[in-house]
Amino acid sequence: MALIKLNNRGVRNVSAFGSVGVGSMVFIKKLTASSSGTLSFVDGASSVVLDSTYKEYLFTFNNIHPSAKADFTFNMSIDSGSNYNVTKTTTYFHAAHDEADSATEVALGVSAGSLGQSTGFQLLGYQIPTGNDECGSGYLRLFNPSSTTFVKHFITNCNEVSIGGGTPYSINSFAAGYGNTTSAVDAVQFKMSTGNIDAGDICLYGIK
Amino acid sequence: MPRYHNINGNKVQFTAEEETARDAEEKAWADGAVARAQADLRSKRNRLLAETDYLALSDNTLSADMKTYRKDLRDLPAGKDTVDKCNNATWPTKP
Repeated sequence: MALIKLNNRGVRNVSAFGSVGVGSMVFIKKLTASSSGTLSFVDGASSVVLDSTYKEYLFTFNNIHPSAKADFTFNMSIDSGSNYNVTKTTTYFHAAHDEADSATEVALGVSAGSLGQSTGFQLLGYQIPTGNDECGSGYLRLFNPSSTTFVKHFITNCNEVSIGGGTPYSINSFAAGYGNTTSAVDAVQFKMSTGNIDAGDICLYGIK
Repeated sequence: MPRYHNINGNKVQFTAEEETARDAEEKAWADGAVARAQADLRSKRNRLLAETDYLALSDNTLSADMKTYRKDLRDLPAGKDTVDKCNNATWPTKP
């Protein structure tokens, strides 16, 4: 197809455009929290796609603000969201540095951070407090969730404000692991370990 | 107050069964509050101890101030049996 050259008479005079590639990362859906108990992406409804259309999916979470100091967590479903209880084996660690510039640490043995064949929710953001400006932001990459051959790997990174021993910290949380199932994962849910997600949003993208 | 899911952008009220399950999750989380605060406290304490471990090597003589500081750190978790006590602990000053 020949290129259409635009001239100074403006776009209004162009009778047709060629198709434009959409790139390799495609926005699918944005969910905005409003005192939400959970935020869930379920394949096949309300324009949400979470199937073999893409080999990788990216969730970005922005300014997740809880109603109570709590961990930000996620889980997967193989039954269209009826149950979020996929068995997982995972690792978690975080690096922390306080606002007073007096303490740094790397924490490996965080309670409930690393799962061994557990159906529980995976820790993403560590103990996010409720101050007006306090929140967590990050991303989750989920690989080939529709595979019926392989386990479902994921990698996630979240930075959050947290409070330890009364001191505000910047905490950089890293978690990765796999859903130990060969059934297709068709839904993903996010929630706090207690209370609601009062504000923030989560966007879902497909990666070709 | 009822809880709500946000499923694909649609607000969906928790079922009675989901409310019960969530109540149990939240109770378990609340019950673990002291343990989490104590873990935070011990984590910070361990980090501060580690920062001065090199001074306690066998080929070095600890000063009295440093001995007291390290003992105070080791003793700090004792009696910290509430979240408030953990969060408001008085930390010893490094000499």
